Amino acid sequence: MYFVFLPSIIIIVLSFFKINQIVMSFVATSVIFPAIYLFFNHMHNDYFMVDDLNAFILLVSSVVAVGVSISMISLPYRLGLKKKQIKHFYLFFGIFFLGLTLSILSNNMGLYWIGLEFATLSTVYMIKIKYSTFAYNESWKYLIVGAIAISLILFGIILIYSATKPLLQEQAMDFYSLIENAKMINGYLFEIGFFLVSTGMFIKMGFFPMNLWIADIERSAIYQVGALFSGILESAILLGFFRLSEVEKVVNNAHLITFTYVYGILTLFMVSFLIYRAKDYMRLFSLSGIEHMSLIVIFWVSGGYFAALLHFAAHAFIKPALFLSTAVLESHRKYNFRGTLKGIGGTPTLLISMLMLAIISLPPSPMFFSEIYGFKAMIESATLSSHFLLMVGVVFFILLLLSIVFYKFITIYQEALYEEGEPSHIYRSEILTLSIFVVATLTLILPPVLQAIEGIMS
Amino acid sequence: MTDIFMGFFLATLIISLFTTRLFRLYSWYALNSLFLGLIAMSVSFELDDNEMLIVGCITIIMKSLIIPFVLRDITLKFNLQRSIPLSIQNHFLVIIVPLILAFTFYLIEPITIMYLQSNYVTIAVSSLFLSLLLIMEHKTVASKVLGFLFIENSLFLLAISATKGMPMIIELGIFVDLMMFIVVINLLFKPQEEK
Repeated sequence: MYFVFLPSIIIIVLSFFKINQIVMSFVATSVIFPAIYLFFNHMHNDYFMVDDLNAFILLVSSVVAVGVSISMISLPYRLGLKKKQIKHFYLFFGIFFLGLTLSILSNNMGLYWIGLEFATLSTVYMIKIKYSTFAYNESWKYLIVGAIAISLILFGIILIYSATKPLLQEQAMDFYSLIENAKMINGYLFEIGFFLVSTGMFIKMGFFPMNLWIADIERSAIYQVGALFSGILESAILLGFFRLSEVEKVVNNAHLITFTYVYGILTLFMVSFLIYRAKDYMRLFSLSGIEHMSLIVIFWVSGGYFAALLHFAAHAFIKPALFLSTAVLESHRKYNFRGTLKGIGGTPTLLISMLMLAIISLPPSPMFFSEIYGFKAMIESATLSSHFLLMVGVVFFILLLLSIVFYKFITIYQEALYEEGEPSHIYRSEILTLSIFVVATLTLILPPVLQAIEGIMS
Repeated sequence: MTDIFMGFFLATLIISLFTTRLFRLYSWYALNSLFLGLIAMSVSFELDDNEMLIVGCITIIMKSLIIPFVLRDITLKFNLQRSIPLSIQNHFLVIIVPLILAFTFYLIEPITIMYLQSNYVTIAVSSLFLSLLLIMEHKTVASKVLGFLFIENSLFLLAISATKGMPMIIELGIFVDLMMFIVVINLLFKPQEEK
């Protein structure tokens, strides 16, 4: 199964040579082939385990990687990047994807962390591929915040390992052994570890109170970095949370629900108002990404696995596409919404409109269905408890916050579509990228795909 | 012997919280890492674990010799500011540090029955909080990076004390990551020089 790492290694090696940039982009799309193979052929060895969940997440991440690598074709013309900078991008993109694949496929918590750390460190340099003082400062900020987050994750992993080692010996590092033996685990130490891991993961996803760092970083970096962050890096982080929360659910479900709900709702509260005040597309999409991440974790801990996975996949396709379309929307000015959809042609306008309306869950967006199922799972999880009315209140409160986001997005969309603005130019590779993401998003609402997603956790 | 090294480990970390010169902070980091390596070696003799002995030796060579030297080199090469004033004043630190220690002992108290060496876990967890405090109290990038390296040491201490060592492959992976961290720092400073 080690062939899965081959495309990333080829990208890293080729980045040291003089190669046509279009060829390089198409080489980078080869990451999809092992992902497709593993999706249909599950396997495992001492350190890696491919099951339905991580095969699905790897496939989604690979589709995002394909979209991002095709969008790279037009980047030198769009941002005036030099060949050396493009080569650097591919070098770190290769390391990033290698780390992410390692992380997603590992059954070992230690390897999961190592992969995540590689991915984090490689993105630090990607942020300042196009050099500016802002990008330089933000890459430092990311290095420090990312390092703290990743350290908390490792600290938590070690505590979890120490809590389970007397019971499972060397197997205490395996996700599967933990899930299988969850009932026998020493609760207190495991829980301290789990909460530290979760806090680290939530910091990396930009949850409260660290809402702004991720938006600033994505604003300062090239558009592809935002796409990689939202479409791939957060997928790997979520996978770790999914796995460990399954154990915590058995150890102490009440603590898990309370911790995640408080964290998630505080984040939603802050982010909805930050979105309301957003002045540019990048921050708008970045903050919206945090909003969706908090919804995913809330759905997951409520037992809405189907809702969480559908929401995750839809977010992974729509958000990178929106980040990449920002290159077109901001081609004249950064802090402007007015008339940004004017003059880019019928097809691109349709594609960007579809994506912008899909991200706020307008039907038939997959997010509409995932939210319906997610809220249903939240209510169902409370029907047998004495907190039913509280849960209904929580659902209404979340809907209220989401309506603020909905209102802001609709206002911006109307401003962009109907007000006068300067016409922008869109490259063919950008149209191709957007088409890939739109098709991928539409695929999610096909009945066989919905059935397959539903079957992942059952 | 492990207890003595553990005490020195915590002491060097606490002293570094009050340090206002960069090179002195590097020295405290080197000493902190030296005691960490000695703890690993001491535990390895107790457990008769050769893997941990190797890890202890690598720690001393890498963290107490190579990394401080590389950081010193980077500081001189890029002419970084060597005065690192604290944003939290000393009289507040004197209160905060014991509070952190007391809080951690209280936090870990429920596991004292289960673990014979729960004090080691407490020291590791308090080192994490103290390292986070070090990051918070400094405004310069170099000292924040040192804060991260102190966190790495407390992680390592936890791995040694609470788990009696992690699997070798994981520990080597962590070392590789640490080296990549230093490489990225070097790369990040580069454009500043060009500028």
